[in-house]
Amino acid sequence: MRSRILALILGLCLLPGAVSQAYAAEQKLIIYTSMKESLIGGIVEGFVKKYPAIGVDYQSAGAGKLMAKIAAERESGKILADIIWTSEVPDFYNMKKEGLLEQYRTPLFSEILNPFDDYDGFFTAARLGTLGIAINTDLVKTPPTQWSDLFKPEFKGAFGIADPALSGTAYMSVALLDKQFGWEFFEKLRANQARIGKGSGQVVDDTASGELSASLAVDYITNDKIAKGAHLSLIYPPELLMAPSPVAVFKNSPNLDAAKKFVDYLLSHDAQVLIAAEGTLSVRTDVANRPEHKLPLAADALKRAIKIDYLQMMATKEATIKKFTGTLQGK
Amino acid sequence: MNGIVQKSGFGAAQIILGLSIAILVVMVAVPVLLIFFNAFWVHGEFNIRDVIATIREPDTYQALVNSLIIASGTTFGSTVVGTFFAWLVTRTDLPYKPFMKSMFLVPFMLPSFIGALAWKMLLSPRAGFINRFFMTNFGFDGPLFNIYSYAGIIMVEIMYLFPFVFIQVCGALERMDPTLEESARISGAGLFTITRKITIPLVMPSILSGALLIMLYSMAHFGTVAVLGIENGIFNIPTLIYQRIHQSAGSFDSIRTGTVLATVLVVTAAFIIWLQGKILSKGRYQIIAGKSFRPMELKLRALRTPLLVLCIAYIAFTIVLPTVVIFLVGGLKTYGLPFTWENLSLDNYKFILFDYKVTKDAIRNSLALGLGAAFITMFAGVMISYVIVKMKVRGKGILEFLGMLPFSVPGSVIALGVILAWSGKFNINLYNTVWIILVAYIARYMAFSLKANSAALEQVHDSLMEAARACGATMWQTLRDIVLPLVRPGMLAAFFLIFLPSLRELTVSIMLYAPTTRTIGVAIYTLNEDGETVVSAALAGIALILIITGQTLINHFTKTKRV
Repeated sequence: MRSRILALILGLCLLPGAVSQAYAAEQKLIIYTSMKESLIGGIVEGFVKKYPAIGVDYQSAGAGKLMAKIAAERESGKILADIIWTSEVPDFYNMKKEGLLEQYRTPLFSEILNPFDDYDGFFTAARLGTLGIAINTDLVKTPPTQWSDLFKPEFKGAFGIADPALSGTAYMSVALLDKQFGWEFFEKLRANQARIGKGSGQVVDDTASGELSASLAVDYITNDKIAKGAHLSLIYPPELLMAPSPVAVFKNSPNLDAAKKFVDYLLSHDAQVLIAAEGTLSVRTDVANRPEHKLPLAADALKRAIKIDYLQMMATKEATIKKFTGTLQGK
Repeated sequence: MNGIVQKSGFGAAQIILGLSIAILVVMVAVPVLLIFFNAFWVHGEFNIRDVIATIREPDTYQALVNSLIIASGTTFGSTVVGTFFAWLVTRTDLPYKPFMKSMFLVPFMLPSFIGALAWKMLLSPRAGFINRFFMTNFGFDGPLFNIYSYAGIIMVEIMYLFPFVFIQVCGALERMDPTLEESARISGAGLFTITRKITIPLVMPSILSGALLIMLYSMAHFGTVAVLGIENGIFNIPTLIYQRIHQSAGSFDSIRTGTVLATVLVVTAAFIIWLQGKILSKGRYQIIAGKSFRPMELKLRALRTPLLVLCIAYIAFTIVLPTVVIFLVGGLKTYGLPFTWENLSLDNYKFILFDYKVTKDAIRNSLALGLGAAFITMFAGVMISYVIVKMKVRGKGILEFLGMLPFSVPGSVIALGVILAWSGKFNINLYNTVWIILVAYIARYMAFSLKANSAALEQVHDSLMEAARACGATMWQTLRDIVLPLVRPGMLAAFFLIFLPSLRELTVSIMLYAPTTRTIGVAIYTLNEDGETVVSAALAGIALILIITGQTLINHFTKTKRV
């Protein structure tokens, strides 16, 4: 009896240990990303097939969680990740400013679309995320064509935006819409009783269920649900909301070569096809959108996209979020 | 009685005492003290003005008020519901009473945030299944009930918390000396007078102590408010702490606001515990008396069937309906599709168990954390209780005080405390690892272990140990051969009292998780937040199966063992 208990305890002590040790055990390329499991899993699989000698591991979580982890790791002296790939552009400007990133001008640069006017090799866009209006096709009879259509009675109390405090893309869209249309835009939404949801995925699910008639939605989340049969449709007004997803290599990475290879692989045709298959825009002009996704052409989207100063956007984040919740929840 | 006094100045007893104190200090006292310290000391000096300023900020003030509103409403509602059903299953001739009684205890097992998810699906204003049913079939032009409201939150909390009162009042009514009521009856008092003058005063301490437990729980409760409140800007203290810390990825300002709010929680909790102690010490001696008498049963007569229907309807509505909804939604291809055969499948369940890294990690983490915390806390608890209950050494008073601490520290406070204590301040940085959750679980569940183990130890008479010592056994031999075998049931109880709740834990782990250290509760919550409604419902279904299987096994196991 006692030996059994002892063995059990020993086993238990080892179990969580094994979990945390798994990442430190051997030299592996470690990727932190906010991309979904299905996307990053496929890309890593393809990369390992091409470079069988390089071991790869990844952690997929919200950008905020990953940045908190990186902050904690910096505190203890060593960033465990070699590569970061999320959709929070301001984070990349911040990391560059703090000297955390390795400069790497990829030879593939000439082949890809670049949304950053001040590109200098510290981070490279690997995906062009877009946000549109997801509508519930059962509830909305006349799909909106303009942002201002959201002020119509059809969307009274039934249009939702994810909480910008929880979702980075939601914050980016609030900043972009403010830039384009001024704060008036949100006051008009408020007058039409627009609602604040939770995460950027939840508003889409709420739209699918009919809790909302329409929501501000991320492309791949919506397209994934449409593929599963949800009664949704994604619509892009002329002024386009774009959230590029940059990839960057950490300075002092022990696997610099492997990390650079991964960046190149990510920008290659093979990986970009996987990105397009998820229902979002590839950065390569030679990768076509899937017909079922009804996305705008990447090059066009880049031209239509509302431009913004990311550093300034970051500086005013807290104040803008407060103002946003204040306006929409009427406090 | 004083057989276990150590003669030497520094022996095994002192080591055990020292170790016990050390465990409680490191695990519980230091994190709590750090919270107070960070709340009141700014830049090295005592600063109460800042604390008041923080509390008076509109957001924080509103969260405090909300916590109070929700906790009061929940406490009041649960007390009424719990007392009523307790009376019904103990004092009336309601049919199928034992079955009903066990059904009313089921909500104890169900995590309330899963309940909140189910009720969101049922009663969200435009798409909730019930609301939509009324709108399409009866021409309602608005929702029947909006779950995203104070009333909605309170209703859901009542459903899952009322057993606290129910179980206490049931116990009191069953143990109450029936001769008291009988003598009143013989003296000519009517039922109304008996109820008013005898029954209610006798049961009152149990009702109040159950009510205070609910108050304590609800004040510090995260899940329900997080699922149902945030949408309409309703925050309570734990959800505000979470949101602040989440938003700023742990900046000092947000942690400070958190510590001030946590301090308020601790003070309230301490007050509630103190109040409860006072009430209990007043009322206990009157109740425990008659054992073999059956209390008289009220004949319900014509009301018998309607009340039975009411009970069944209540159970169907609060237990069966939400559970069924969770499993059905978990089977859908994507949220929003109607429940038809071609839309339902087991794919999500398969995906979660075999293919999805996030959920596989979560299930493994929760099992490992639950087992780990249960083992460690069980052994630590038996040692500490032994010192408190059995040993007579100097310095025990400190331990008694420290032993009270875990009872009065709410989960979100513990989470904040361990962040302060274990993120590098003392050269140990566990933040963002699975270990910080383990440490927090040990602190959080120490109270359960202490309670179960002290109860078991109190039943072991000192004379047994004295006899062993008199026969020449050393202290260790006595412990090993006499005490441990006798307290094993208590230890076992402690183990499961910790293991099962930790499987569905959310309040603590939501503040501490990292990308690979999600627990089941965190995974359900974050998947839901990410709009993976069907996957999160499927995982919730699997969690329910795990918890209910575990509970059934334990009930079976402990019953056959005792016979």
